[in-house]
Amino acid sequence: MTRNVMVIDLRRCVGCQSCTVACRTWNDLPMDIIYNPVLTEGVQGDWPNVHRNWLPTLCMHCENPECVPCCPTGASQQDEDGTVWVDHTKCMGCKVCVNACPYGMRDVSHMVPRFDQYVRKCTFCRDRRQNEPGKDPYCVQTCHQKARIFGDIEDPNSEVSKLINSVETFRLFEELGTNPQIYYIPFLGGHR
Amino acid sequence: MKRHYWTSPIAIYLFLGGLGGGIMFLAWIMSAFVFAGQADVLGPALAGPMFIALLCLALGCFFLVFELGQPPVFWRVFTTATAIIKWGATMLSIAMFFNLFYVLAYVPWFPVFENFFMPFRAFNLGVAGIMGLGIMIYTGVMLSTLKAHSFWATPALPILFTTSATSTGCAAISLSLGVWPGSVHMTMASYLGAVAIHEVLHVVDIVLVFVEIGILLIMVLSFLGSGTRTAKRAAKRWVSGAYAGWFWIGMIGFGLVIPLCMYLSGVSAMSNGVAPVLVLCGGLLLRYLCVWTDDRQPLPGEERYYNKLPKSDAQFLHAWEDGDLY
Amino acid sequence: MTEVDIHAPGVEVRKSACYFCHQNCGVLAYVKDGDVIKIEGDPEYTNAGGLCCRGNIALKHLHHPARINHALKRVGEKGENKWEKIPWDQAISEIAERLNKIREESGAEAVATAGGTLRTEDWSRRRFMNLFGSPNSFHNALLCWIPTFMIETAISGWSPFETDLASSKCLVLWGMNPGASSMPGMKGYTDLMMSGLKIIVIDPRYSETASKADIWLPLRPGSDTALSLAMLNTIIYEGLYDQEFVQNWCVGWDELVEHMAQYTPEWAAPLTWLDPEQIREAARMYAKNTPSNIQWGCTWDQIGANGGAGTQARALMRAITGNLDRPGGDTMPGPSFGYVTDEEIEANDRLPEEQKAKQIGSNKYKLTSWPGYQIIADTAKATWGKAPTAEWMCEAHGPSVFKAILTGDPYQVRALIVSATNPVNSYGDSKMTLAALKKVEFMVTCDYWMTPAALYSDYVMPIANALERPTIHTNYGVTDSILCSERAIQPLYDRHTDFTFWRDLGLATGQSEEDWPWKTEEEVFYYIISPLGYPVENYDQFVETYRMYFPPQRFYKYGDAGFCTPSRRCELKSSILERLGYPALPTYTPSPESAVENPELAKEYPITLTTGGGFMPFHHSEQFNIKSLRYLYPDPYFTINPKLADKLGIEQGDWCWIETQRGRIRQRADIESLCDPRVVFVPRGWWFPERGVDDPEAPFGCLESNTNVLTCVDDNYCDPLGGSWMNRGLLCKVYKCTELDMKLRQDTSWSIPGNAKEPGIHEMPSDAKLAFDPIPYDPKPTFEVPDGLVWDKNRLKAVQPETGFVYDPDSGWLIDEATSVYYDLVTGYAYDPTQGNLVDVNTGKHYDMETRQEIVSGEGEE
Repeated sequence: MTRNVMVIDLRRCVGCQSCTVACRTWNDLPMDIIYNPVLTEGVQGDWPNVHRNWLPTLCMHCENPECVPCCPTGASQQDEDGTVWVDHTKCMGCKVCVNACPYGMRDVSHMVPRFDQYVRKCTFCRDRRQNEPGKDPYCVQTCHQKARIFGDIEDPNSEVSKLINSVETFRLFEELGTNPQIYYIPFLGGHR
Repeated sequence: MKRHYWTSPIAIYLFLGGLGGGIMFLAWIMSAFVFAGQADVLGPALAGPMFIALLCLALGCFFLVFELGQPPVFWRVFTTATAIIKWGATMLSIAMFFNLFYVLAYVPWFPVFENFFMPFRAFNLGVAGIMGLGIMIYTGVMLSTLKAHSFWATPALPILFTTSATSTGCAAISLSLGVWPGSVHMTMASYLGAVAIHEVLHVVDIVLVFVEIGILLIMVLSFLGSGTRTAKRAAKRWVSGAYAGWFWIGMIGFGLVIPLCMYLSGVSAMSNGVAPVLVLCGGLLLRYLCVWTDDRQPLPGEERYYNKLPKSDAQFLHAWEDGDLY
Repeated sequence: MTEVDIHAPGVEVRKSACYFCHQNCGVLAYVKDGDVIKIEGDPEYTNAGGLCCRGNIALKHLHHPARINHALKRVGEKGENKWEKIPWDQAISEIAERLNKIREESGAEAVATAGGTLRTEDWSRRRFMNLFGSPNSFHNALLCWIPTFMIETAISGWSPFETDLASSKCLVLWGMNPGASSMPGMKGYTDLMMSGLKIIVIDPRYSETASKADIWLPLRPGSDTALSLAMLNTIIYEGLYDQEFVQNWCVGWDELVEHMAQYTPEWAAPLTWLDPEQIREAARMYAKNTPSNIQWGCTWDQIGANGGAGTQARALMRAITGNLDRPGGDTMPGPSFGYVTDEEIEANDRLPEEQKAKQIGSNKYKLTSWPGYQIIADTAKATWGKAPTAEWMCEAHGPSVFKAILTGDPYQVRALIVSATNPVNSYGDSKMTLAALKKVEFMVTCDYWMTPAALYSDYVMPIANALERPTIHTNYGVTDSILCSERAIQPLYDRHTDFTFWRDLGLATGQSEEDWPWKTEEEVFYYIISPLGYPVENYDQFVETYRMYFPPQRFYKYGDAGFCTPSRRCELKSSILERLGYPALPTYTPSPESAVENPELAKEYPITLTTGGGFMPFHHSEQFNIKSLRYLYPDPYFTINPKLADKLGIEQGDWCWIETQRGRIRQRADIESLCDPRVVFVPRGWWFPERGVDDPEAPFGCLESNTNVLTCVDDNYCDPLGGSWMNRGLLCKVYKCTELDMKLRQDTSWSIPGNAKEPGIHEMPSDAKLAFDPIPYDPKPTFEVPDGLVWDKNRLKAVQPETGFVYDPDSGWLIDEATSVYYDLVTGYAYDPTQGNLVDVNTGKHYDMETRQEIVSGEGEE
């Protein structure tokens, strides 16, 4: 069994937003749709004792997604390998999944024709991986810093497996019980 | 927060759905339990409210479909079996059909329908009433299962919505009781029955409004006191922030306390005419405030991020649309 | 949801490149029917598949509806935005006719050209200008590495800009933020940091890079020179230098030690806002953890008046710590011996001497124009037979050209060809620059877009982007590696490459086909790479099979023939700078505008301003019209510390004015502890291409949020060595905009000098004083000059005028420097080391060393 996950190494991320733009152009997204915003609270602390951090995000491809069971049409679904995606031929745009996601990672575009507003979200580049097996999601490839690492957590030899097992990681909103599958390697900021 | 994914149409839909459900539920209770055995007399008196309920549900469904990203394919809602929203849609459909069947029995101009549906009217009212209860609860449950939103994800919300829906149902019945074009069915007994129902509902609504004030205050204040950071922030907006005026003056004041006082002051033009309207407005306001309080716990830096993004009318977004310029 | 199928039949993959910045990342372009349908980062190239924000929008750029697709001829008034689309060839011949007429009437020097960054084929611009006869081409190069290159080359023979970081123990990133400006590089730094390399970041901002570093020195913006002098002082006076290297390979040590005594950390502390101990710590860390490495940062060339001294000091730090050309240190590549360098195809020998002398600014900023370049190029050619490129390293002073357009001083510049630059945004003092663009008699702009410069032009030429042309990256030809990429598609519409523009224009102005032997980039590039000896028949084949060339690094190259300086040693006391009238040792000049040195001015403008600084997702003034990028960064934001914001009553997102003596701009406040509470950081580049010509006086909102409205190009603000002007450490005030302010028109009033209170010309450029006066250079010989020889004060040598041989006072012989053959002073016969006697090179007869009598044939053999 394959279970695809992503590790994001915050020690490497410099907040350049390349992944954000890459995703928008690779997937040809409408202007107001952002699958993977890179968040930051800016430089924190009292000058000159300061720190800063960036948090690249994307769909958490949760093990127990909130957004799948709530879908009344079955458009929102999860593959065997854990990929959560929306089949836009089944979606009617009710946005219940958009409201269900605790991470705010789904949306409908308001810059497309009024009656064509289906729910969009990150699919771990499902089509790209299907067309060219072995390729990573495009945000992973495009990251110069190699801060995003993608792979099969079930494979003990995969890089993600090794990292998750050997380095301390955290996940977002674990307390919600969604079991998110994006693992962050923390960077504490400041000077070691 | 990026923005409100659900807006006015959903608030109106939740209100109308609850209202329609409340009317049907109360009509059924009155007919089947409170005044059991007097269906023949009360039936025509309840036809007006039931018709209003039907309109509410139909209009609510219109808003619901309108809010969809792809309205033409709204039927996709019936393609899977598990989701809450699908149950809601199913109940709405059933309720509307049986409500229609009930109302058709009293349509004066088509004796065919009357003859056909009259024998089943108790059954039809029963199904519609039970579905009405379901819809009232469902409007709250739908929001409360979305646990990403701290202000929604509380069991108090379905109770509050159900109470409010029943209360607005009461108000709507009070206003429309006995109003029905076909006087064929409306006998003096029916009018007397209507007055009796009115008296009962008057008391019921006093109780409901009391209860609603209680639930609302408990819910909001407990969020304020011991909710998550997000819920606290939302509750603060209600109690002392941007929504405080709407909440205290609009909803608590005009929507609940003032009509309550009018109800308590005894039967009068105020309590018969103005109070129910205020209750209805209060109910709508409650749905608006709740739908707008869709606060989700932000990811670190999320607000800073989305605040920097352009508004949809930013000039650059609409530049160079004339095709090749040079 | 990829709509485009890159696996469809007929789709071809081309190894193209991104050229939206200097990194030149590899791009796989999927081409179908002559158009690119998709791109992605090339996983098998230096970027390992990575592409940044800019790289990923290549197709939006290629197909943008506002791209200029046809040659445009102005039909309305200047700035009216009325154009006629005409064929390329017609535009070229009309432009050529006009340029020839101007040359006839006013001389070739009345035609100037402004260039952009490294990413064009600007050797061809130089070639055109040299053949045309004008010395007045320029870039914004003086703000970006060129003064550094020339100062370092003057001192140690070549700029030590290459790295060998894997063997390095300590890295100083000085005024450099790869975390926002060179993404592939940052990956390397992070890798090394994780494996233990110590990194010191020197930056007034807590930059992306600073946030990852071990040590961060938040100095006062613009005080880098004081810091480097104090660090050099520490290294000398704490004995942290490499004694062996200093003894064997340096000249001027004793003078340096004495001279540097004044620049103690205690002296620098108030200037830099640092503790003396912090300065010492950094110096110790750098000097004790050798091999160590200092990376060049743009800041070095944007300090203004004393910037050159700082670069000089850092060059000396590299030298005396023994880091020069050492594994893990600062390695000096020298020119490429493998491929043809830019300098070799610029035709510099075709520019007459009298034209060289007319180069604007070369009488003031000598190191980066013909006077300094000539010395450095001659020295390099004598060493290697190759020289640094003249394009970039030897140019007119851009702001002085704009002033010449406005004042006619030193002479009237009548035509300006702008290629790949948006001068209003990228040169200092935007209001003055804009005025010059409006005034110049004849202007041509080669660009992708309708920029302010293009708008005031008589012709706008449509230029092909990186997907439509092959690219070659040689770092100006001053290093030995090369990166090559091929054309993905032929240019769309009537677009042409900039090389084609200069070649076509050259031919149309009367230059011959032999002067331009290559018809396409592919032909030139093949010519360039041919000497590498790869078995390829054309350029594309090289790209397909090899693509790049990185020769193995060679260290200690000075061991072969010494350093490439007049003395063949690393000149701590630089003879080249001395000859040009500059201090031979790094000497501090107070800044004309700083919070510490100008307390009077600081009363009115209390906040220190730092401008520039690259930020994602834009590059200089580019990409502001790419919606996908603007969506992420729609408005200009300056950064302000929460404490200062609090004091000024400014809240997150408020529109504020930032005002200097020159003018004011508005940007929105981003409140974070990124910089000192006494400092604001204002990013560069902002214009609003979507606005169009809503304000004909300042189109595209080009002055509204443009940081260069605040900067200064007055001569006393410029570094006399390299001519770079001042972008860092200026003084400003910041206050909130009112509602009414937001409706105000942009202020276009300009003055020369920029700091004048009233608009207009108050001082002719020829009368303007530099930051410090030239030091007269008139060295006397330290030995007696024999009769018949002439003292050459520039070379500090006695020279025989007829032969050019120089006199060696130690031995009393004459030396031919080209061949290193010794000649007898009295007879002029050469010394024959094989026989140990003299030989007359004309007759072949041999003479005795002592008696100077002819040795009769046969006697010698016995």
